[in-house]
Amino acid sequence: MSQSTENLIQKLAHNSVPIRPLARPWIRAAGWLVLSGIYLAIVLTLMKGHGLPAKWDDLRFILEQVSALAVGFVAAVAAFATIVPGHDRSRLAILLIPLAGWLGTVGEGCIHSLIQLGPRALLLEHDLVCFPFIALSGAVPAIFMALMLRQGAPLTPRLTAGLGALAAAGLANFFLRLFHPEDVTLMLLLWHVGGVFVLSALAASGGRYMLNWPSATRAFENTAR
Amino acid sequence: MNAQSSLKRIDGISDDDLAVLMKIAQAGDTEAYTQLLQEVTIRLRRIVRRCRSFLTNEDIEDLVQDILLSLHSVRATYDPRRPFMPWLLAITRNRLADGARRYARTSIREVQTDCLDVTFAREHANKTEDVFGKEELKNAIDGLPAAQRTAVEMLKLREMSLKEASAVSGMSIGALKVATHRAMIALRKILMKTHEPKY
Repeated sequence: MSQSTENLIQKLAHNSVPIRPLARPWIRAAGWLVLSGIYLAIVLTLMKGHGLPAKWDDLRFILEQVSALAVGFVAAVAAFATIVPGHDRSRLAILLIPLAGWLGTVGEGCIHSLIQLGPRALLLEHDLVCFPFIALSGAVPAIFMALMLRQGAPLTPRLTAGLGALAAAGLANFFLRLFHPEDVTLMLLLWHVGGVFVLSALAASGGRYMLNWPSATRAFENTAR
Repeated sequence: MNAQSSLKRIDGISDDDLAVLMKIAQAGDTEAYTQLLQEVTIRLRRIVRRCRSFLTNEDIEDLVQDILLSLHSVRATYDPRRPFMPWLLAITRNRLADGARRYARTSIREVQTDCLDVTFAREHANKTEDVFGKEELKNAIDGLPAAQRTAVEMLKLREMSLKEASAVSGMSIGALKVATHRAMIALRKILMKTHEPKY
């Protein structure tokens, strides 16, 4: 064994402290969901009276909300799974199920609106507040998510960041629809669903800056080498 | 890379033993962690040599050390209920790919040029003998502060790499770079005082 590698091993072992293994991805995702849920509940309480009441008697609305929440949770599980070396990537395909459910309910609503309203359903007059609102209400869950993701291995930075952002934005969209429950139209598809995917794509493109090996190993490199 | 099957064939210590060592190491046992890293290093060296057979021994050792550091920094992601080698191999594959990407990026920026003789019109500039006497240079180096002297001796005179010099001297890579930079400025000042250049 080369002397420098042997030195490195001795220093790493000498500087090691007891650590607790990370919990399983779904447990971490549940923890993240609870933490973010508390934050969003506080915001929702503060915003009481500023929006419309949720349409809990509308089955399509309920399905849409359940699907959006499922997208947020499953995307969070997937994001936490990607930072564990040796995880089975094929399992990430499970995300397609809630995603299909969400896009399906929103898409079905669009078609329904088009039949009912005609060309008026295609008007893109929706207020621009949706996009920044998804971004702002998703910001704190996204920060929680980023902090938790940095505890793992940056194996697939873009995919991990994209899934993390999808989870945060999906949750923010679920939250937004609680007091923004208009009929589903093409505008909603564009601003809400589009907003979620744009934010996810932006996060994915910058994933390498947030999650990379040099920043993961820097603290140990300075002490060990 | 069909590394997993070959690993089981090569080494005496089994995957289960490594998993147990890692579990104990996560609890803070230094000896178990040292043994684990030593066992892992042997395997890593073989994998890296097989996957990057064109690299020199120094480059292979650098990659092995990078993987060891990565393993150390994300050791909390290892779940003791799962096998150890797939976890290690995922990190190894990722670091090897990362190294290849880094190599590709830097090689794009590098421009290959012929090594041309540098000559100038003025005769003094083309002298082949030492501009400064060896004795004077030695005295100037001896007069440097200890850290700067160590940095110059290891990096410039013995032509060691930063990592090697860091391992031998116990100074960090950053400290070595700073010390070398300051030493070169100091040497330039000392030697310029005694020898005003004629060109």
